[in-house]
Amino acid sequence: MIRRVFTFFSFVSVIFFPWPFTVLLVLVSSCTEPLVPLAVGIFADTLYYVPSVGTLPLFTLYGAVVTIIAFFVRSRLRTGIIKR
Amino acid sequence: MKRNALLSSTSVSLGTLACTGRFALAFSVLLLLLRFLTPNLFWHLFTPVFRIADAFSTESRLFFNSFGDTAELASQNEILSNKNTVLANENQALLKKETDLEAILGSPATVGNSVSGISAGVVTRPPESPYDTLVIAEGSRAGIARGQEVFGNGGVPIGVVSSVLTDFSHVTLFSSPNMTITGFVGKSNISFLITGAGAGALQASIARSANVAVGDIVFVPGPGMLPIGSITRIDDDPSSPSMTLRIMPALNLFSISWVVVRETGTTLFDAFLHASSTSSLP
Repeated sequence: MIRRVFTFFSFVSVIFFPWPFTVLLVLVSSCTEPLVPLAVGIFADTLYYVPSVGTLPLFTLYGAVVTIIAFFVRSRLRTGIIKR
Repeated sequence: MKRNALLSSTSVSLGTLACTGRFALAFSVLLLLLRFLTPNLFWHLFTPVFRIADAFSTESRLFFNSFGDTAELASQNEILSNKNTVLANENQALLKKETDLEAILGSPATVGNSVSGISAGVVTRPPESPYDTLVIAEGSRAGIARGQEVFGNGGVPIGVVSSVLTDFSHVTLFSSPNMTITGFVGKSNISFLITGAGAGALQASIARSANVAVGDIVFVPGPGMLPIGSITRIDDDPSSPSMTLRIMPALNLFSISWVVVRETGTTLFDAFLHASSTSSLP
């Protein structure tokens, strides 16, 4: 339940709150839902990114990086003897 | 049988993930497709959501301000009222001078050079928008075209229209990173390049010999010399031949609610193209 609440508020904060707060929520969510950083990054760039700005869609890129890191950490935890 | 711990297929399989993450990703991709295929419909759908966010922001600000020191707030209110009265008087005096000059020199040729523009409400703004861009609720249907200049309250230039839809437009603010514009500062109107520093701020590099000080107003070309902000800090490194000016915009971009879009005939769009030369315009 709590992971769904965090995921929901991550999306809501993209519209309602400044982006640093969104980043914080997404980092917390990524502990249990590795795909959320990528999803929220795509959502933020869908709303705010303008190709003519001359910058890359940073939120999608950073979201993808955090998702990869979250998957890596999860894989390490699963292979650890403590979790067995 | 040896098992690769780093690339374990079972550990990164989508099947092991909770459905929340997959649903969130599918939701985002769906919205992305919607924006690509029907951008105008997309913004029509999301504009009411941003309006709710604005209302929420206003209410929360009022709520937190209610905890402020009422005596201090009353004092600030009195100071602002006095300043407002002074400015109104100065404005009246300037209008009188303008009328007198027109009587002596004749009326300037204002016909065909109207300063009126297209008013548009702001849908999104920083800090929610992380790229220092605005989405405004007017587009090509209202006559907005790419490259037109955008002004805030008081005629302060704030950015340039970077893409246009039927009913909405994107505005790239001058504070956007890599955005470049020519400005003037000081009594001798020293020309220099202003670049966006992100988060609503501007910066510029100028020769150390330039006679500028904190508090000096920075102007940009437009219909006349338009104030864009003021110098709030000067970073002066003795080992460098230049110094960096930190410029605060004259308008709070984080609370801007409406703008005026108009064609100024300046070379702003060229500057914008130069700033965004690394990407292709839509």
